[in-house]
Amino acid sequence: MEDKFDCIVIGGGVAGLAAAMTLARNNMKFLLIEKGEFPGSKNVSGGVLWGSDLNKLVPNYWEEEDGGWDRFINHRRLTFMDEQSSFSLDFKSSHFNEKPYTGVVVLRSKFDNWLAGKVQEAIDASDFAMDSFIATDIKVDEVIMENDKAIGIKTGEDEFFADSVIIAEGVNNLLTRQVGLQDKYVPADHMLTGIKEIIRFDQKVLEDRFQLNGLSGMSNEFVGWATNGIEGGGFLYTNRDTISLGLVLGLKDLREKKQKPYDVLNHFKQHPTIADAIKGGEVVEYSAHVVSSGDSRVMPKELYKDGILLVGEAANLLMNAGKAIQGMDYAMRSGILAAETIVEAKAKNDYTSATLKEYRKKMDDSYVMKDIKGFQDAVHLLHTDVMQNKVPNLVCDFGRQFFSIKNEPTPKSEKMLLGAIKRHSSLWELAKLGFKARKSL
Amino acid sequence: MKLLSLPERLGLVSYRNQAKSEIKPHIIVDTDICNSTCPHKCTTWVCPANCYTMDEAGKVHFQVEDCIECGTCMYACDQGAVDWNYPDPEIGRGVTWNFG
Repeated sequence: MEDKFDCIVIGGGVAGLAAAMTLARNNMKFLLIEKGEFPGSKNVSGGVLWGSDLNKLVPNYWEEEDGGWDRFINHRRLTFMDEQSSFSLDFKSSHFNEKPYTGVVVLRSKFDNWLAGKVQEAIDASDFAMDSFIATDIKVDEVIMENDKAIGIKTGEDEFFADSVIIAEGVNNLLTRQVGLQDKYVPADHMLTGIKEIIRFDQKVLEDRFQLNGLSGMSNEFVGWATNGIEGGGFLYTNRDTISLGLVLGLKDLREKKQKPYDVLNHFKQHPTIADAIKGGEVVEYSAHVVSSGDSRVMPKELYKDGILLVGEAANLLMNAGKAIQGMDYAMRSGILAAETIVEAKAKNDYTSATLKEYRKKMDDSYVMKDIKGFQDAVHLLHTDVMQNKVPNLVCDFGRQFFSIKNEPTPKSEKMLLGAIKRHSSLWELAKLGFKARKSL
Repeated sequence: MKLLSLPERLGLVSYRNQAKSEIKPHIIVDTDICNSTCPHKCTTWVCPANCYTMDEAGKVHFQVEDCIECGTCMYACDQGAVDWNYPDPEIGRGVTWNFG
């Protein structure tokens, strides 16, 4: 067991790379295994990396001429849609131009690969420059367990041994299931399928169309008509010279309503607001990936067991409570905290649950678990028929009346609003919604 | 902007081992279950790459070549017919995203 590692990290996504970076900086001997050709090659996100943890991993990352990120967000928009209309909450502020940025749009094939390069630099600067590795093109078949403690991994005929294993395999978490931290079958109830297109423009056209300045960017989420009656929502994010346009669709609802996700995407693209936004663009990639909803009922039973820590989407650490779809930032923070726990475990020479449970405590004390716990009601509320259909229709109906000038006597706004409420919902239903929203948001 | 059909969309995906005809499927589907006891056959519409199709007789067929490893079928199938895994880097066919 001469070649034993302190830790094996499975998966070169945001969570795995954040863990690896932290391990390298703390002079740990580790192996990161990625099944794709390079880190990021099999990874798909919307996607915006929210928050400022990236600055902890790669200090002053924005100073690099062509870093792995695409644009920083200073313009947020939430859009309610009906068939003809879109009614947006729109917020743009130069406050968000300040560094560190609080959200950057990323394309994972580029971003993860760039971040892996930074991890390699950290490895090179560590005591284990020749003994820690990022290995690609290797699929882990199994976590090797001995007396219910992880001691390594198996890939084909090869075995690698370590004192600990960080599972960062993403939402399709086969190894998490293998080690018994999640059920063998996870039902579709609280899972969604994300699908998107990358649409390319001349960069100048893109910047003018979305009023971008330098590397500023916009994030836009959509609810209502966008999903053709399927629970979920849409998104549009601006990259350097492309946009990411897509949908996140409830899997159970897709199954029950017998809709094909790519048909729903075409439906979304035909909305007049979207059609105008993407005019003249060229689709350069189509992708899809399952994503969890943030409903804690499907999350793995625990985040650790002897010799094992779970990070990122492998632990279903993702949430959309109406303000933003957060997943990559949860991945990053959980990766950092998991690696810090492994560093402590090495110091104590105890990789059992007795030490690794500290990871759970760090997570519970962090914004990740506090938000996931604190906003469960908001997650549930967002997936109700009222929020998904009635509110978007009502808002757009009101908007159409409010902004119509007809050269005839104009009713008072309150009357317009009451009319719209009656047509799509009821005062009583909205009062209930308001009460729930006040508590949950 | 012209809307793309699914084949046009899949034409934009970079697959590994593109030229290999003898690839080992990474997802094993027991279509006997689909075609006997399954009440919905939902994979034939939820799969974003249309790897599951239904013929005129209503029978489900599966092909792995277009799979983009999204995971949808693993969750959507509640009948135990889908044995899901990632492709082997050497002998499987899988995606390499250009953008991701």
